[in-house]
Amino acid sequence: MLKLLLRFQHMDRRWIFLGMGLSILLPLVFPINFGFKVDERVQALYDSVEALEPGDTVLISADFDPASRPELEPFYRANLEHLFRQDVNVVMVSLWEFAPPLVVPILDEVAARHGKVYGKDYVFLGYKPGKELAIKAIGENIPKTFPTDSKGTPTEELPIMKGFKQAKDFPLLINVSAGFPGTREYVLQIQGQYNLKIASACTAVSAPDYIPFYKAGQLTGLAGGMPGSAQYEKLVYPDGPPDGVRLLASQAINVLNLGHLYIIGLIVLGNIAFFLTRRLED
Amino acid sequence: MEPSVLSSLDIAGAWVSIALTLGIFSFLYADNPVYKLAEHLFLGISIGISMTEMYYGVVRPNLIDKLAAGNVLSVVPLVMCAMLFARLASKKLGWLARIPIAFIVAAYAGVKLTGEANGNLMTQVAQSMPNLAELWRDHGIWDWSADGAGVFSGIFLVVGLSACLLHFYFSARQGPTMRGISRFGVLVLMLSFGASFGYTVMGRISLAIGRAQELLGLDKPAEEAAQIHPQLASVVCGVLVIAFLVVWRLRGGGAEQEEAA
Repeated sequence: MLKLLLRFQHMDRRWIFLGMGLSILLPLVFPINFGFKVDERVQALYDSVEALEPGDTVLISADFDPASRPELEPFYRANLEHLFRQDVNVVMVSLWEFAPPLVVPILDEVAARHGKVYGKDYVFLGYKPGKELAIKAIGENIPKTFPTDSKGTPTEELPIMKGFKQAKDFPLLINVSAGFPGTREYVLQIQGQYNLKIASACTAVSAPDYIPFYKAGQLTGLAGGMPGSAQYEKLVYPDGPPDGVRLLASQAINVLNLGHLYIIGLIVLGNIAFFLTRRLED
Repeated sequence: MEPSVLSSLDIAGAWVSIALTLGIFSFLYADNPVYKLAEHLFLGISIGISMTEMYYGVVRPNLIDKLAAGNVLSVVPLVMCAMLFARLASKKLGWLARIPIAFIVAAYAGVKLTGEANGNLMTQVAQSMPNLAELWRDHGIWDWSADGAGVFSGIFLVVGLSACLLHFYFSARQGPTMRGISRFGVLVLMLSFGASFGYTVMGRISLAIGRAQELLGLDKPAEEAAQIHPQLASVVCGVLVIAFLVVWRLRGGGAEQEEAA
């Protein structure tokens, strides 16, 4: 046994990678279901969208890129579905240069499924560089920050933008955030100043930094990482997805559980091996 | 809804995406030319997209269009931009770059400072002193249904925060009391780092799951997957990458890495 543990400590790290790969691939090929519950922060986010009235307009800042797609795209899709289902209009902007090719086709796809009209029910105002300065500008004057939408139509001529000049004119700002600039910057730059209602979906890496914002009431809801997206999918589709809709985060959450069990197993085994063999080596 | 018919280019793009994913994964075996190819393609394309977006998002609307419309004030950012590159023209003129850099630093510092003071410092400090009476009324000592909210958590927050701050207070003599508080502060910090690390691990596994979903074609609608055949693409590209690695190793590739390890 001790020999085995000694060998384990000096094992080629590529075996660990192989094990990780298998623990991800196998449950995707042969699905299992552990089940999961919705936490308070995601429920609060869902409730803040549910509280919107038909005809309301929300501002979405879609700030993610292909690298964070597995964590945030499921939330983004489910959130659009949720908003359009309630007849809420969507004004979308982005502060990440890699976001537009990723987020616009999904916006068009979900809007088309609900028969929404571009410019009247939803609009994409485009990408704005400038990071925190762009966020400050969104807080102050949106038509000045985005003089035209992504198709070149002057923003002030868009029917959906009538009466919406500043971020505070929207009853809710939803930030799908993969990092900087994102939720933290929105909270620091304009949330307090204009007393905005901001809900955020963020990557798992950012979640511990944003939880204090939620606890302090600076965020009305928070969906962190893939579990947050899966929980939101569960709330939006309580009876399962309709035809043609894929719930990628719900599918992945069980795989994530197995991945975690694999890593916990390695940590426990590694520590047992370390303490037993240290005594032997001494 | 009509099932979408993909063009040959879309299908080829999906195959290239799968091949590049496997190329990047080949780094887990060893640093190799397939990985390098995928890495360089990724970097080149990222920079290309960034430059294009910067041109159409910043330079054209904020400078070229405004200059074309006769906005004379737009000359100011143009001149400041040119000053940034003055050092390239002559080392003697290098000092000119300091003026726009000073402007950027000052403007950014101003923006950051007000944001941090308003959104982070004031609100977070205020929230670190919880209302215990309210917590008792809403959650009691400990509420399992609200992630452990309650009086115990409120007191732990205040005590833990104070211990962490005292751990970094170096002007007091390190007697037994201060050492005890400091150790408790370290414990709280370790709990916080552990939680952050756990979230980071979860994020990384999530990304790996995302790639696996693409390799298996689970992230695409069924009609698209039927046209792309992602599982076939994964097997074909996987075999090609492994075959390349075998030939590469047989020809002595990676020997230096093995020696260094």
